[in-house]
Amino acid sequence: MAVSAKDARGLGGLSELGLGRAAAFAGMLLLAVAVQSTLLAQTTILGVIPQLVLVLVVSLAFLDGERVGTVVGFFGGLLIDMLLPGVIVGLTALIFTLIGYGVGMIRYMAPLDSVWTPVLTVAGGSAIAELGYAGLAVIMGQRWVSFEETIKIAGLVVLYNTLLTPFVFPLVRRVADKFRPEKVYRW
Amino acid sequence: MYRKPGRGRVLLLVFLALSIIVITIDYRAGSGGILKTAKEWSVTVVAPIQRGFTTVSRPVGDFFASIGELGDLRDDNKRLEEANEQLESENTQADEVFEENERMADLLDLQEAWPTMESVAARVYAPDPGNYNSGVYIDKGRADGIAPNMPVLAPEGLVGKTLRVTEHETLVVLLVDTNFGASARTKEARDTGAVRGNGVADPLSMVFVGKNSDIEVGEEVTTSGLDEIFPPAIPIGEVVRSEIQGGETSRTIDVDPFVDPHRLDYVVVLMPEGRPTSEKSVAGED
Repeated sequence: MAVSAKDARGLGGLSELGLGRAAAFAGMLLLAVAVQSTLLAQTTILGVIPQLVLVLVVSLAFLDGERVGTVVGFFGGLLIDMLLPGVIVGLTALIFTLIGYGVGMIRYMAPLDSVWTPVLTVAGGSAIAELGYAGLAVIMGQRWVSFEETIKIAGLVVLYNTLLTPFVFPLVRRVADKFRPEKVYRW
Repeated sequence: MYRKPGRGRVLLLVFLALSIIVITIDYRAGSGGILKTAKEWSVTVVAPIQRGFTTVSRPVGDFFASIGELGDLRDDNKRLEEANEQLESENTQADEVFEENERMADLLDLQEAWPTMESVAARVYAPDPGNYNSGVYIDKGRADGIAPNMPVLAPEGLVGKTLRVTEHETLVVLLVDTNFGASARTKEARDTGAVRGNGVADPLSMVFVGKNSDIEVGEEVTTSGLDEIFPPAIPIGEVVRSEIQGGETSRTIDVDPFVDPHRLDYVVVLMPEGRPTSEKSVAGED
């Protein structure tokens, strides 16, 4: 497939991210990772921490499209990677980048006015992210927790992330709306 | 009007390539290199926000942590409700102070067990943000003399070892982490082997123990001092399973750790070779 000038402008996703907007997204990511490892780490479901950063990535991708999803997914995942004691840095970044892009694309097909759409998108995105991360880590030779434990963690993360969405999504939308460049007309 | 889909494909490819480059750099550079600096920066930037939340949320978190035990608590609660009302107001603060004192006293005892070693006490301010690895962040770092690969202890026993150190924070990898390993010995049978983590939910495995060993359930496992990180005789846990599975040449031994990874608060970092930096952190003790 030929790459047209328009396609090349795909990198314009970066310019679309104005400075204020980039700062707002970065602030949200930092806040999300801090809340995830403090407040939410103290209010676990059966010891499992929800992945608030992923909820944020999915929400932003859903609201602002695949390019924002890709960029926020990469940096959100990378931030998580930097803070984990695990040895493969970049794995969460890879998974979240794909999720961000995927969600951004899915919204073209989903009924946007339904309140269930973001909730189901987060549920689906979380399931793919959790199982994808575990699968890739095992393929790359990581010593891993048991299969049963992996399934338990993935299931509970999906549940907890989904429960968080009705609270997190409206907040993210408010911030995203405030910082969205006015020239871009979306719906 | 919808924007035409597909324009983000180039961006996706760029960031996928970036992710793969990061993974490759991490694989090749090991613990050093450009990513080390990036990791330190990330910890340093996020730490103040985490510490802020922890200060505010710790009492609330303790409350929510009990929700899992709600069934038992409900019965207890009825019986205790009357007495509690009376005592609640005056006790809340006093209990907090008392518990803290007790923990600190325990820590002092612990430090006395290794009188020749320098150590520094630290407080856990956050766990790592994931579910598969097991690490916690403590509020002391390079400025206090901490370096990577130092043993970390709680009053109950071994917690883990230091992994990544910034100026004022340290990431401690817990003994239940799947990447953790320490040489170990049973207290009675004196058999040596190595202890490995299997995640928070499962017991530790003691491996490299011969078939003929007579390790029994209930025996205490301690560090053996045979590796270069942990001094000997630090309590690790208790043997909960010891059996030979069909045809295997070594025993399968499960060890339940003494330390509860969910309830870490104060810990001690041992410095086997003394404090590498200046006397900065102990200023005022002279």
